[in-house]
Amino acid sequence: MKIEKAPGTFLRALFVGSILIALSVQASGQESAATSAPTTSAPSMSAPLNVKDANPPAAADLSKGDPGGTLTGTVNDVPVSDSKKGLTLADAVNQVGQNKVAINFVWTLVTGFLVMFMQAGFALVETGLCRAKNANHTMMMNFMVYGFGLFAYWVCGFAFQMGGVGATANLGGTAPLSGELVRHWFGKDWGLIGTHGFFLTQAGTYDVGVMVLFLFQMVFMDTAATIVTGAAAERWKFAAFAISSVFLAAFTYPLYANWAWGGGWLSQLGANFGLGHGYCDFAGSGVVHAVGGITALAVSMIIGPRIGKYNRNGSSNAIPGHDIVIVLTGCFILAFGWFGFNPGSTLGASGNGALRIGSIAVNTMLAGCTGSFGALFYMWMRYGKPDASMTGNGLLAGLVAITAPSGFVNTVGAAIIGLVAGILVCLSVEYFDRRARIDDPVGAISVHGTNGLWGVISVGLFADGKSNYGGAWNGVNGNVTGLFYGDPGQLVAQLVGVATLVGFVFSLSYVINILVDYFVGQRVAPESELAGLDVPEMGALGYPEFVLKVYGEGVPA
Amino acid sequence: MKLLGLLIVVLGWLIAIGGVVAVSSTTARFVICLIGIVVSLVGILKVLNGEYLKQAIWKQ
Repeated sequence: MKIEKAPGTFLRALFVGSILIALSVQASGQESAATSAPTTSAPSMSAPLNVKDANPPAAADLSKGDPGGTLTGTVNDVPVSDSKKGLTLADAVNQVGQNKVAINFVWTLVTGFLVMFMQAGFALVETGLCRAKNANHTMMMNFMVYGFGLFAYWVCGFAFQMGGVGATANLGGTAPLSGELVRHWFGKDWGLIGTHGFFLTQAGTYDVGVMVLFLFQMVFMDTAATIVTGAAAERWKFAAFAISSVFLAAFTYPLYANWAWGGGWLSQLGANFGLGHGYCDFAGSGVVHAVGGITALAVSMIIGPRIGKYNRNGSSNAIPGHDIVIVLTGCFILAFGWFGFNPGSTLGASGNGALRIGSIAVNTMLAGCTGSFGALFYMWMRYGKPDASMTGNGLLAGLVAITAPSGFVNTVGAAIIGLVAGILVCLSVEYFDRRARIDDPVGAISVHGTNGLWGVISVGLFADGKSNYGGAWNGVNGNVTGLFYGDPGQLVAQLVGVATLVGFVFSLSYVINILVDYFVGQRVAPESELAGLDVPEMGALGYPEFVLKVYGEGVPA
Repeated sequence: MKLLGLLIVVLGWLIAIGGVVAVSSTTARFVICLIGIVVSLVGILKVLNGEYLKQAIWKQ
């Protein structure tokens, strides 16, 4: 590049100017086609740009450093494809495209890292709500579900889920993910399962965009898998947990996620049957939380309640957790991670409506806030005290419920959804604890299952018709609009999703876990349960000194 | 009875899908979907869970 010296303050403006020229080429080209009378000829894409006025800083200036940030990031940083020719319009346009994809890669990866950190939040919440004698076992389940889930998802789960999703524009295409098993039933195409991406190598899926998508989707799947460990805590055999988690990551979760997010039949309910925009689940109230919560229900039912949870007349005993401090710390970590969960689900911060990330983040924090209010006030009015663990669950319930609608609703809708979730989680915990007599030590079925379903339904009620991510969500033009804003068809699509979660996902999870129970056994021996699972299952206590103090063995006064 | 419960759960799902496929009215689809969901929930919480409660550990 031949560039003369000039004041560095003009550099950015000039570079932006060159980009504007690039963009104007398209516009002028379209205009030319329409009028057939172009007044100026568009510059050739391969012709060198006249960048002599861009004037990057001199080497002498750069050697002094750039504390003001005005000398860094200039035309010199745009790579040229032909050094002899210098910077061309094609170079500038390609750089614009790569910058967009780079922004989206970084956004999606960083939000994925936040979601990964939610595993720590789940571990703290679940362990804190269990008794100290099961701390090591509960912590290890939360720790290893990450590894078991990741491995199974890499082998086949991702391929089943996203193998046929097609182009993901924000991530540069992900073109290799083009294999979906489709059957033609009742005059419509029904996408059933993905077929590309096994081991992230098959069918050309060794691709930068596919890797980013894999990481983001994997941490979502792992969130679903770790929900089950809470509901089955304090009595689940570790080997059974391991096998059950692998099946969830390999089959149950990917199958439903394919139907909802991978181009499967639920997402096509709008295009095929005229039901709104098809099943809409922005960040996974249904796909992640309800799948996890409903699997937790199946496992809890099979495994049975803890010894001492119910009396012979069927009345329930409260079994308090051992550390409310780590429970609420875990809730805060989860709330923090949710800023990856929901805003990250745009899969980008540039293009296709992705600037709604601010709106999605605010919706997320609002629903968590009102969710904690709902549970706090319910418990306060009903039992006379603002219960800490249920308030934490209220926060999580609000976050779970806003996950599906976060990209489609306004802040008032988000606040209402969260408030309802906070009350609903209390009612649901009471129902499962006292009426259904299904033991769930941490309230996972209610937080994730019940409120996951509520979140799915709330899209069909509160979607305000303002969201347009590229103009054709699930292949249907226009904005996602719920019943309260004029589209009852969207609510029906959401209900079909709920029916699939309750009817199909539960059945599949139940059958898988019945088989695990038959071959491995789901529940530990009664003597192990009474002793606490730390030593019988894991070989070491979570809190050895604590136990010594309790029993007064060898602890100096 | 557990198998019956499971079949009822699946039946509820099929009812909901059948409504979408067989009917074109949004209101009718809405009602059929709700029926399907209720059938599945009855299968889970009444029939299947009821069977587990009969053999519950706290009754032994």
